Amino acid sequence: MAKKIAVVTDSNSGITQAQGREMGVYVLPMPFMINEEVYYEDISLTQQQFYEKLAQGADVVTSQPTPDAVMKLWDEALQDHDELIHIPMSSSLSGSCQSAVMLAKEYDGRVQVADNQRISVTQRQSVLDALALAEQGMDAAGIRAFLEKDKLNSSIYIMLDTLYYLKKGGRITPAAAALGTILRLKPVLQIQGQKLDAFAKARTVSHGKSIMINAIRSDMEKRFGGADTDHVRLQIAYSHDLDAAEQFREEVQSHFPAFDIHMDPLSLSVSCHIGPGALAVACCMKSV
Amino acid sequence: MVSNTIDAEKMARLFLAGAKNLESKKEWINELNVFPVPDGDTGTNMTLTIMSAAKEVSSLYEMGDIDMQSLCKAISSGSLRGARGNSGVILSQLFRGFTKGVKEHEKITVPVIAGAFEKAVETAYKAVMKPKEGTILTVARGAAAKARELADNGTTDMAEFLRLIIERAEEVLAQTPEMLPVLKQAGVVDSGGQGLVLVLQGAYDAYMGKEVDLTISAEHTSAGASSGMTPNREAQANAEIKFGYCTEFIIMLNKVFNIKTELDFKAYLESIGDSIVVVADEDVVKVHVHTNDPGLAIQKALKYGALSNMKIDNMRLEHQEKLFKMSQKETAAAQPAPAADGPRKDVGFIAVSVGDGINEIFRDLGVDHIIEGGQTMNPSTEDMLNAIDQVNADSIFILPNNKNIILAANQAQSLVKDKKIVVVPTKTVPQGITAVINYVPDLSVEENADVMLKEISSVSTGQVTYAVRDTSIDGKDIRQGDFMGLGDAGILCVGTAISKVAMEMIDAMISDESELISIYYGSDITDEDAEALRAQVEEKYGSCDIELQYGGQPIYYYIVSVE
Repeated sequence: MAKKIAVVTDSNSGITQAQGREMGVYVLPMPFMINEEVYYEDISLTQQQFYEKLAQGADVVTSQPTPDAVMKLWDEALQDHDELIHIPMSSSLSGSCQSAVMLAKEYDGRVQVADNQRISVTQRQSVLDALALAEQGMDAAGIRAFLEKDKLNSSIYIMLDTLYYLKKGGRITPAAAALGTILRLKPVLQIQGQKLDAFAKARTVSHGKSIMINAIRSDMEKRFGGADTDHVRLQIAYSHDLDAAEQFREEVQSHFPAFDIHMDPLSLSVSCHIGPGALAVACCMKSV
Repeated sequence: MVSNTIDAEKMARLFLAGAKNLESKKEWINELNVFPVPDGDTGTNMTLTIMSAAKEVSSLYEMGDIDMQSLCKAISSGSLRGARGNSGVILSQLFRGFTKGVKEHEKITVPVIAGAFEKAVETAYKAVMKPKEGTILTVARGAAAKARELADNGTTDMAEFLRLIIERAEEVLAQTPEMLPVLKQAGVVDSGGQGLVLVLQGAYDAYMGKEVDLTISAEHTSAGASSGMTPNREAQANAEIKFGYCTEFIIMLNKVFNIKTELDFKAYLESIGDSIVVVADEDVVKVHVHTNDPGLAIQKALKYGALSNMKIDNMRLEHQEKLFKMSQKETAAAQPAPAADGPRKDVGFIAVSVGDGINEIFRDLGVDHIIEGGQTMNPSTEDMLNAIDQVNADSIFILPNNKNIILAANQAQSLVKDKKIVVVPTKTVPQGITAVINYVPDLSVEENADVMLKEISSVSTGQVTYAVRDTSIDGKDIRQGDFMGLGDAGILCVGTAISKVAMEMIDAMISDESELISIYYGSDITDEDAEALRAQVEEKYGSCDIELQYGGQPIYYYIVSVE
C-alpha cells in the first residue's frame, strides 16, 4: 500500500489558505515586518493592506517563518500522513529553504525539503506536480529528487513599473543594480532559478510586453522542447494592478492561443522588492 | 634647373606647405557649409587632421636627414590618429593610400606620383561605406585620373605635371554643385573638395619655390578643451587660502535629488566657495566644499534632508596636513576608481556626448566613458583611441551619436588590436540612448550589435537649432537667426519662435505608430519653457508616453525623439 504524502509549501507559491484547503495543500504563511510589527501573508495581511502600506513608504522587511511555525505545520500534516514534501520559495531568494532543510533532519526522513529554486507561479506548479506524483504513489524522497532535477526547467520575466523598490531592497545582482534611473525605463527582469537579474530595458509598456513575450517564446522553443501545450505550461503573475494584468493576459493569450494560462497575484515577498504595477510571464516545462 | 624628382626632405616641405595653406583658409572653407546650422566645420576638421600629421612631420624635418619611410609613417599615422569629421577621415585615408604608393621610393618621379594618387583614391573609397560623388572623393579621383593620363603620355616635367593635376582638381571641384543638388541649392562647391585643392595648391606653390613658414605650433592639434585636470596640489598649498573652512557632511535625502537639483546645489556651493565635491548616491549625498561661511552650505543642504558625519576644519590653522588628507579624500570621492584600473569587463560602452544632462543619462545607463563632443566639436580618431584605452573591457561598443563622427570611430576601430570594437552607427543622441537601452547582457556582442542596429532605425530624431546664415533649402527661405527643426532627412520647419518650431517639428515627426516622445532640452532653455512645451505636447498627443529630460546641450534648444 502506497504511503500517504502531504504537500507543504509557503505563501510565496501564490496559493492562498483557502485554495490550499481546497487542493489539500498545507500553506505556511510568510511573515513580514512592517514598521517593526509582524504580519502574516493572507492571515493578518491582505494584498490590499500590503500595497497601501508600501505606498505610504512603510519600512517593509521580509522575514523567515519561525522554526516553531514550520514544525507546528509539519507536525499537523504528519498526524494523518506518513511523509511530507515541503516546497519552500527559492533558496536563492530567501534563507527559509536552508532553515527548513535543517529542521527536517529531526524528522528521520519523513520530511523532505525540495530545494528547487522556484517562486510564485512556478513554485505553484511544483506543488501541483508534487500532488500528481504523490497520487501516482511516489514517496516524499522520490518527489523531492524529481522536483530538484526539474528545478531549472522554468523561466520568469517580470517588467517593473519602477526601479525604486528594487534599488531600495538591494536583493538584486550588480547587473540589475546598474539599470539606469534617470529615464523612465521599464526594466525587464528574469528569474531562472537564481536571483532576480536584469534581462532588458524597455522604453514603454508595450515594448516591455513584447520583449517578455519574445523571451518566453524563445525559452519554450530553445530550452523546453517547443512552444506548445505538450511541452510547457504558461503562467502570468502581477503585482497589485489586476486590470493591467487582465489586459496583459489577453495579449499573451493572442500570442499563445492554445494555452490555458494560469494567473496569480505575485506573492508579497516578491512584490515588496519590485513594487506595484509589475507584470510577469512565466513558463514551466511539462514534467509530470 | 628644377629637378623632376622629389626627395624625402622636399616632400616633407611640400606636405607642410600644403597643411599651412589649408590652415590659413580654414575659415573660408567653414563658410562653405550646405546647411545653415552650427556644426562641425569642415575647414576646422580637415585642418586639425592635417596638423596632427604636420606636427610629426615637422619634428622629423627639424631633426634633418629624413628618409621616405619615416616621413610616410609620420604622415600616415599622424593624420589617421588626428582625423576628425568625415572629411578629415577621408583626407587621412587619402594620405595613407598616397604614402603606401611612395614609401618605397627615395626619389619620387611622375609615374610614382600617378601610382600613389591611384592608391590614395582606392584607399579612401574603401574607407567610406557609401561613397558619394560630388565630394572630396570625386575631386581626388579626378586628380588621380589626370595624373595617370599624364604619366602614361610620358610626361616627366614635374612642375607641369603638378600644375595640370591641380587644374583638373579645380575643374572637378567646380563641377561638384552639378553632382550634389544640395550644393547647388546652397550655391557652394564641396567644402572637403575645396580643402583638398588647397592642400595641393600649397604643396605646388612650395614646389615652385614660394617661401613658406613651416613652423607648426602644437596648439593646432587639439581643439577641444583638455581633460579636467585637477589643480596642482602644491600650487594650491602655496597659494593664499581664499576659503578658510573645509566643510564636509552627508545629506540623508528626504527630497528628490536629481541631476537638476544636483547642478543647482553645486552652483550654489560655487557661489560661496570652491573645491566642491558633490557625490550623489541612492539616498545620500556626500558634500565637500571650502567656504568662508559653512553655515550657508549647511542651511542649503538642510533643504534636501537631514545631515550627518559633519566635519568643519579651519584650514588656515591646519593648512598643510589638511590639504594632504583632503586631497586623498577628494580623489577617492570624485573618482570612483578609474575604469581602466578596474577588473576587466566583458563589455564596455563609449559615447560621444555633450551637455551635462545628456552625459549623465548616458552614464546612468551604464556608459563607461563619455567623449565630450558632438555637432560643433567632432572628436578625432585619437580621442577615440584614448577613450578605448580608458575602458578596460574585452569588447567595446562606441556610440558616435553624430553622422559626422561615425567615420572617425570606424577608423579607431581599425587601429585597435587588443579589444573588439563595435561602432554602432548612431547619428543622433536619441539613437545612442536607444542603442544602450537595448543592450542585453545575456546576448553575445554580435547579437547585441544586430539588435541595436535594428532598434536605432525605429528612432526618429528632430533637433531645434538656429540658422547661421541666410539661405534657401527645400523650398524654405531661411534667414540668419531663424529657428529650424531638423529631422533625420532634412529641415522640417522654420520659424521665429523656438517653442512653435519645436511643436511643428514634433507634428512632422509623429505617425500613427508613435508611442514615446522624448524631449531633451538644452542649456539655453528654462525649466518653465520646457515644461510648457511638454504640456502642449501632452495635450495634443495624449496617447503617447512623453518624457521630458534636461539635456543641457549647447546649440540644440531641443532634441526630440519619437519612437
